Amino acid sequence: VVGDGWFGWSDPAVRSAFQRLLPLTLGLIPWSIATGLAMRAYGLSEGEAVAMNLFVYAATAQLGALPLIVAKAPLSVVWLTAAVLNLRFVIYSAAIAPVFRGERWFRRALASYWLVDVLFIALGPLLLAEKDPKRRWTIFSLAGLWCWGLWQVFGLVGIFAAAWLPVDWPLTFMGTIALLVLLVPLVRESAMRVTAAASAVVAVLAHDLPMKTGVIAAVLCGLLAGGIWRSWQKRRLPDEERPDGN
Amino acid sequence: MGIEEWGLLPLFALLFFATWLTRGAFLLGGEQFQLPEQWQLWLRYAPSAALGALIAPELLLAHGHLVFKAELLAALAVALTLWRWRNPWAPFAVGMVVLLIGRSLLGR
Repeated sequence: VVGDGWFGWSDPAVRSAFQRLLPLTLGLIPWSIATGLAMRAYGLSEGEAVAMNLFVYAATAQLGALPLIVAKAPLSVVWLTAAVLNLRFVIYSAAIAPVFRGERWFRRALASYWLVDVLFIALGPLLLAEKDPKRRWTIFSLAGLWCWGLWQVFGLVGIFAAAWLPVDWPLTFMGTIALLVLLVPLVRESAMRVTAAASAVVAVLAHDLPMKTGVIAAVLCGLLAGGIWRSWQKRRLPDEERPDGN
Repeated sequence: MGIEEWGLLPLFALLFFATWLTRGAFLLGGEQFQLPEQWQLWLRYAPSAALGALIAPELLLAHGHLVFKAELLAALAVALTLWRWRNPWAPFAVGMVVLLIGRSLLGR
């Protein structure tokens, strides 16, 4: 960005946004290492693991797809599962869209690739409040590049560290732990608990459905159960938001 | 594990669209569009449903049968860690340690 110093670094607003992002992105490091280890543990070659990190660049979708790929689930089931795991981003996308209004398509396409949880959570409100479109893009692209670089570099650490760890270590469990890290904060809400529990029960009961379609059945049953729970709760306490935690 | 080398790159290229299109849902089109509330709700629940479906068989099933596994103990330890401890490394370290100890105790 010419005239703005290196990547707009002379702009105090850019610097303070980055300082806000920095500590939160440290949480990406164990995740990316775990994902790298898990990809190798599921039998991907180093090159394939690097390719998956570059192409898919979404820990949850990657870790969710791996057991299905190994189980030789059909492409449609793998694809749908990855997409469903990424559906939260549709909400982020809708919320952050005003930030990129009037930007060129290439920038919006790049922003779509770079949008990750931590970036949205840490900088979403700040970016939406920023009036200057040039500064908005500087802040977003710097943050996007940082998260992406961090993910790729520590992904490589995991991918190549896998060879140094004992072969009989059940490293695929690193992937399961990463998914748990994502699930546990979600199920603080009771309707989410019902959703996750119902889909878990159906997934276990339906595990031997052909071509891993049990996963899709479980997701649909979970959503149905969560929806029923929520409407039942609303009917019971119509006026107030129910205090959670039972 | 029997993964064909050539088979995965096209798959990853297709998975690129699964993640890029969900993230870009409201960016790639460019026009302003409000997501209906019912949809937002539904989209918010979908990850819990998918995560439940992916995690449960890993914790409860071995070769298609319900068994008591070290994975279940490790998952409980991870949940406890997440509840008590903010450190981003802790769940991975605790989970793997409990899994390895549990496996040696359960003799698998």
